[in-house]
Amino acid sequence: MINKAAQSIKTALAVGTAVLTILGLQGCGAAKASGPKITTVTIWGVATGPDSKDFEAVKDAFEKLHPDIKLRVLSMGAGGMNNQKLMTAIVGNVSPDIVNQDRFEVSDWASRGAFLPLDPLMKRDQNKPDDPKASDYYSAPWTEANYQGHVYGIPTGADNRILYYNKSIFKKDAAKLRAAGLDPNRPPRTWSELLAYSKVLTEFHKDGTLKRAGYIPNGGNSWLYLYAFQNRAPFMSPDLRTCTLDSKYVQQALEFMKKGYDILGGYEKDQEFESGFQGNENDPFIIGKIAMKVDGDWIDDGIARYGPSLDFGVAPAPVPDDRYYHRGRFKDVKDTFITWFGGFCYAIPRNAKHVDAAWKFIRFATSLKGWEIADHAQQRWDQSKGRIYIPRQLASRVANEMQTKIFKPADPRFQASVAMHEKMAEFGRVRPPTVVSNQLWQAQVRAQDEALRGKMSIKRALQQGQAQVQRDLDAYYHEDRYPIIDLNIAAYLSAALIAIGILAFVIWFKFLKIGRLDRNEAKWAYAFISPWFFGFFVFTFGPMIASLLFSFTEWNVLTPAHFYYLNNYRNLFTSGWPDLSKSFYDAAYLGLFGVPLGLATGLAVALLLNAAVRGMRFYRTAFYLPAIVPTVASVVLWQWLLTPDPSKGLLNAAWHATLEKWMHIPMPGWFTSESWAKPSLIFMGLWGAGSGMILWLAGLKGVPNTLYEAAELDGASNTKAFWKVTMPMLSPIVFFNAIMGVIGAVQIFVQVFVLRDPNGPVGPANSLIVPVYYLFDQGFSYFKMGYASAIAWVIFAVIFGLTYLQFIVAPKWVHYEADK
Amino acid sequence: MIAGGILFLLGSVLRWGGLILLFRSIYCLTRMYLPAPLPEERSSWQKSFLFDGVLGALGVIFSGAFLAIRVTGWKPANLHAGTINLPLVWFVLPLVTWLILGCLVGAGVCFAQFFAEPSQVVRQNKIKNALGWIAAGIAFLAIQLFDKDAVGKGPIVLVYKGYVPIHWTVAIGFVVLAVAAIFAMAAAANAARARGWAKIAVIHAMLLTGSILFALPFLWLLVTSFKEDQDMSSAHGIIWIPKVTQTRPYFDPNDPMYEGRAEGMSIVGDVQSKNPDGTWTINVIHPSSIAGRTETLNPAKLKLVPKDVNIVSGTYKGTPIVGFDAEDLPDGSDKIIITSPPQLKNQSYIALQKDVKKVRHVGLDWKNYPDALDYLPPSTHYGLTYLENTLILVVLNVVGTILSSSIVAYAFSRMRFPGKNFLFALVLSTMMLPGAVTMLPQFLIFRSLGWIDTLKPLWVPAFFASAFNIFLLRQFFMQIPMELEDAAKIDGCTYLRTFWKVMIPQIKPALAVIGIWTFMGTWGDIMGPLIYISSPEHMPITYALALYNGDHGGEYGLLMAFTVLTILPVLLLFFFAQKYFIEGVTLSGLGGR
Repeated sequence: MINKAAQSIKTALAVGTAVLTILGLQGCGAAKASGPKITTVTIWGVATGPDSKDFEAVKDAFEKLHPDIKLRVLSMGAGGMNNQKLMTAIVGNVSPDIVNQDRFEVSDWASRGAFLPLDPLMKRDQNKPDDPKASDYYSAPWTEANYQGHVYGIPTGADNRILYYNKSIFKKDAAKLRAAGLDPNRPPRTWSELLAYSKVLTEFHKDGTLKRAGYIPNGGNSWLYLYAFQNRAPFMSPDLRTCTLDSKYVQQALEFMKKGYDILGGYEKDQEFESGFQGNENDPFIIGKIAMKVDGDWIDDGIARYGPSLDFGVAPAPVPDDRYYHRGRFKDVKDTFITWFGGFCYAIPRNAKHVDAAWKFIRFATSLKGWEIADHAQQRWDQSKGRIYIPRQLASRVANEMQTKIFKPADPRFQASVAMHEKMAEFGRVRPPTVVSNQLWQAQVRAQDEALRGKMSIKRALQQGQAQVQRDLDAYYHEDRYPIIDLNIAAYLSAALIAIGILAFVIWFKFLKIGRLDRNEAKWAYAFISPWFFGFFVFTFGPMIASLLFSFTEWNVLTPAHFYYLNNYRNLFTSGWPDLSKSFYDAAYLGLFGVPLGLATGLAVALLLNAAVRGMRFYRTAFYLPAIVPTVASVVLWQWLLTPDPSKGLLNAAWHATLEKWMHIPMPGWFTSESWAKPSLIFMGLWGAGSGMILWLAGLKGVPNTLYEAAELDGASNTKAFWKVTMPMLSPIVFFNAIMGVIGAVQIFVQVFVLRDPNGPVGPANSLIVPVYYLFDQGFSYFKMGYASAIAWVIFAVIFGLTYLQFIVAPKWVHYEADK
Repeated sequence: MIAGGILFLLGSVLRWGGLILLFRSIYCLTRMYLPAPLPEERSSWQKSFLFDGVLGALGVIFSGAFLAIRVTGWKPANLHAGTINLPLVWFVLPLVTWLILGCLVGAGVCFAQFFAEPSQVVRQNKIKNALGWIAAGIAFLAIQLFDKDAVGKGPIVLVYKGYVPIHWTVAIGFVVLAVAAIFAMAAAANAARARGWAKIAVIHAMLLTGSILFALPFLWLLVTSFKEDQDMSSAHGIIWIPKVTQTRPYFDPNDPMYEGRAEGMSIVGDVQSKNPDGTWTINVIHPSSIAGRTETLNPAKLKLVPKDVNIVSGTYKGTPIVGFDAEDLPDGSDKIIITSPPQLKNQSYIALQKDVKKVRHVGLDWKNYPDALDYLPPSTHYGLTYLENTLILVVLNVVGTILSSSIVAYAFSRMRFPGKNFLFALVLSTMMLPGAVTMLPQFLIFRSLGWIDTLKPLWVPAFFASAFNIFLLRQFFMQIPMELEDAAKIDGCTYLRTFWKVMIPQIKPALAVIGIWTFMGTWGDIMGPLIYISSPEHMPITYALALYNGDHGGEYGLLMAFTVLTILPVLLLFFFAQKYFIEGVTLSGLGGR
C-alpha cells in the first residue's frame, strides 16, 4: 500500500517536474541577454524622431566618454510615457534606470516612494563640475521636482506660455479694430481687451461655422491653470493638504474661458472647428485660422518649419484687468505679467539597477556641456535641412543664457520670441507639487471640459473635481490615523491554514473507512485533481481572500499598508460615485442595447441560414469570420472604418453621400463624439455576431420538424410558428447568451483600452469609462490596492446579483424539454 | 415659380406612378396567358390588367405631355435634346418627415385593402393595421412639432428637379429589362407555388447582401493596407482601387546613400559627416525604428545603394516629358531629371510641385508591409520576436490547458472519491468569479516570484486547469460508455494509463475545440501582457498592435498592414480547422440543449 501511495505521489511529482523544467528553460533564455562588463542603462520616456538630433548627440558623446556604459532608449508610449507601465515596472522590480518624467508629477511619484531621492548623490558629487546646482536653475521648475525637501528629478526643458499674435491679421483688420476702439498696433494686455480683440477678429462662414477664430482660450496650451494663476487662485492650500479647486478665483478664471468660447459661438462649435486642423503643418495659427493664441515655445519650431513667412509677434499673456491696473486684490502685486512652466526632468526609479551609471548620464546630459552638444547637433541638422534653428527653453538659467549667447536665431521675429520666453521664465509659476498632482491635473481638465460643454455649472464641476482630489489627499495625509497592518502576516497565516487543512485532510483520509480498491481509486483521483486544487488555492481562492482583505486597507505596495476600515467603500460611494456610477451606467448601456441587438442579429442570420438549402457552408464562414478576429485588431480596424471625416472614413463617406445629402441627418462623430461613442462600440460588436449565430444554428437544428408540422396543421402562420415553436425551443440558448452577454458587458475592457487616450479622459468626455477599466486604472496606474479591490468587489457583487436575478426569472420563460 | 414647381412635382409623380401601373398591367397580362392560372384568378388578373393599364396610360400622357411642360411652361435646366427626358424629383426632407410620409402611405394602403377585401376577418385586421400606421404617424408628427433637436431637422429642399436624360439605347435596354423582369416575376410566381423558389431566391439575396456587408470591413482593411498615403483621404469619395507611384532606383551624386551594418542590423543612411579619424558618421534612414540615429562606421564596409525616386510627368519648355524627381529642394520645388523623350534625356530642371505629376498605375502598394515592420523596435527583429512570444504562449497555453483540464475532468467524471460533489461544486462556483477580483493579488504573487516582465505569468496558470474547461470536458467523459474503462481495468491498466490510452482518444474532438478556444483566447489576450510585460522583447503580437495603434494612429496604411499581419495566422488556422471552430459549439452542447 505504501508502494502504491508512493507511486501516486511520484506521478504527481512528474507532472510538477515537467512544469518546472519548462519554467527553467524559460529562465535560461532570459539569462543570456546580459553581456559581460558593459552596463546597459535603460531610459524610458524619450521619443526620438528622424528630426530630433539633440538627444542622440548627447547619448553618443556620453557613450564615447564612458565606453563601459550603453544607453537603451525606449519611448514607452506615444506623446508621453505611459504611467501605468512605469508604475507596474517599478512595483514589479523591473524598472528602468532613468525616466524622462513630466515634472509636475514628480511629487506624486515621490510621495508613493517610487523615485530615488537624488540629493545624496548630488552631495556626494558636489565637487564634480557637472553636478547640478539649484542656484543654476530658475526656482520654479527646480522646486517643482522637489518633494519634502528632497530632490527627485533634475529638470531639463522648461516651456512657458506667452501670447502669439498674427500681425498680418491685425494689419488687415486694423480698421475694424480701430472702429471698436482697439489699437491694431499692439496686442491685448488684459482679459477684457483680449475678448474685445477676439470679438473683432473672429469671422464666421455663412452657415454659422467658424471661419477664423480671434482667440481660443485653450487653443494653444494654457488650460485653466494659466488663467487661475493670473487670477491669483491657488489650487491647493499653502500646506498642500487641502484642495481649493472650487474657489471664487478659479471660478472667475473658468468664467473668463467660457466667455472666450461664447465669442466663438460656444465650445462645441469651436471644438468642431479645431478638429479640422490635424498635424503640425495644419496648425491653425500657422495657417492664419487663429489670430491669437497662448502657447509654449515649441510653436516657434513649428512656425520656422511650416510657416517661415508668418508675420507674428509675441507678448506676455494678457492678465485680469485688476491685475494689469494693480487694483483691488492686485494692489501690491509686483509681477504684472506671469506665465506657467511645463517640462520634463530626469528621475531615477527607486529600484533602478544601475544607479551610478544612470546618475552619470543625468549629470552629463543636464550639464552646460551636455546642452551645448545637444544644441550644436540639432542646429547642424536643422541648417542642413534649410531650416532655422531655435533653441528650446531650458530650466537651467545658466544653460538658457548660454543658448541665447551662442544659438540665438538671426531672424528678429524668433529672436523676440526667444527673448520673451526667457524674460517670462523669471515670472513662471508651476503646478503645485503635491502628492495628488496627477489627480489634480485630471480634475482640472475634466472640470474645464464639463463646465465649458455646459454639462454642469462651473461651480458644480469644480466642486466635483475638488472632492475627488481631496479624497486622495485625505487618504494620504490621514494615513497615520489608521493602524499599520502587515499583510505578510496574512500571507503566512493563510499558508499555515492551508498546510493545516491539508494535514487534517490527510489524517481524515487515513482513518476513513473505505475499501482498499476505493482508497486506491481515491488516491489517484486526488492526484489527478491536484493541478486544479493547487491552482484554485494559488490563483483563485488565495487572491480572493487577499483582495477582500486589501479592500479594507490603504496600500500602494511600495509603502506599508494601513488598515482603512470601510473607508474605501465609503469613498467609492461618495467622492468616487460620479466615476463609479458612470462606469456602471456605461456598462449597463452597452449590455442593455448591445446584448439584445447582438442576439437578434445572430438569430436573424441563423434563421436565414437555416432556411437556405445550398451554400450554407459559404455563408456560415462569411458571417463567422469576423468573430474570430482578435478584439484589438477589430477595434483598430473599426476606428479606421468609423473615422468621422467623410473623406477618410468608409462609413461616413457613404453617410455623407446618402443620408446627409437626402435627409439632412448629420454624420455621427462615432468614437470621437460623446453621444456616439457607446453606440459605435455596440455597432462594432454586431460585426462579431457570428459567434452567437453558430449557437443559434446549433439550436435551430435541434428543434424537431414534427413540431412545425403540427403547427402547420393547426393553421399557424410562419410568424406564429416562430414565436410559439422556435422561440420557446431556443429559450435555453437565449438564457445562456443573455447571462454570458451581461457578464461580458460588465467586464468590457479591451475595446476601451485600445480606444482611450492614455493622457486624457476615457473616450470623449469620459463616455467610455467602464468598471474594469476604472479598476485597472486605479489599480495599476496608482497601485491603490485598497480602492481598486473595493471596486473589484463591487463588480463581483453586480455580476453575482445579475446572474442570480436571471436564474430567478428564468423558470418563467425558459423552456426545458422535460425528457432532457 | 413655386406653383410651377409643385405642378411639376405633381406631374412627375403622376408619370412615374403611371409607368409603374403600366408595368403592372403588362405583368397581369402575362399572368393571364401563362400556364396554370386558376379560373377565378384569371378574371382578377384581367381586371387588374385593364384597371392598371388605363390608369397608367392616363397618368403618363396627362403628366408628361400636358401638365409638366405644356401647362406650366416650366423648363428645368438640364433638358437634353435628342434623348428621352424622364422627369424626376427628389425631396430633401427631414428624417421625421419621411417617416410621417411613410406612415401615411402605410395607412393608405391598408385602407385601400380594407375596401377591396371581401373577408370580414381580414377587413378587421386591415383597419387595425391602418390605425397603427396613423398612430405612428401622429407620434412622428409630435416629434416633428415639439422636439427641436430631432435628428435631421432642416429646411425642405427640392433637389434633382428636372429630367434624367436617357439615351435611346439605354431606354431600349430598360424596356428589354422590364420585359425580362415581367417574365421572370411571372415564372417565379408560378414556380414559387410549386417549389418555393421565390422564397429561396429572396433568402439567398439577403444572405449574400449580409455576407458582403460582413466582409466589407475585411476588404477595407486589405485595400487600405495596399494604399499609398495620398489615397487615404479623398474629397471625391472613397478610393477602392489602390494605385502605386512608379519609382526607379537612382544614385544621387549629391546625397549618396550607403548600406552598412550597425548594432547587429543592416542599416541604410546618408553621410552626415566624414570624421578626421577616417570614419564616417552615417545618419540612419532605415530601419525607421532608429531613423535619426547616427552611427560611426568604417567607409570601407559601406556599400553604395540607390534610393527609390518617384517617376513624374510634366512639361519642359512646352514639350511633355517623363522624368524622375531627383531632389526635393528646401523651397518646396523639385529637381527633375528627364528620361524621355530621348533628345532631352538626362537634362535636369527645377519644377514646382504643382507642375509635375507623379506617374501612377493601378496596383498594390506592398511597401506598407515592410514599412510597418521597419518601425518596430530593433530588439524585436522586425516583429519576429512578437510572433515568437505569441507562439510560445499559444503552444504552452494550449498544451497546459488540455493536459490539466482533461485529467482533472477525468477524475471528476469517472472516478469515485470522498468529497467529490463538494469539490465539483467549488469548481463550478469559480466559473462566475470575475477576473477583476483576482487580478491585483495575482500580480503580487507573480511579483514575489520575480516573474514580472517575463512570459511566465501568461502561461503558467494554464497548467492548473480552468473551471469552464473542466466542466465542458466532464460532460464528454460522462458520455463515454463504462464498458471501455472496465475492459481497460480488467487488462490491468493503471488509472493514468486508462486515462491516456483509452479516454483521451475518445474525446479528441472536444480537446480540439478547447485547444482552439484557448488559442483564440491567448492570441487576443491583452490584459495579461499589459500588466506583466514592459520590454518589447517579451511582448506578444496583439499587445504590440495595441501599442502600434497608439504610436502610429494616423498612419493607416502601416496600421492596417500590421493589423493584417496580426490576424493572418488566426484566419489561416480558421481555414484549416474550420470544422472545430464551428462544430465546436455544437459539440460542446451549448446549443440546442
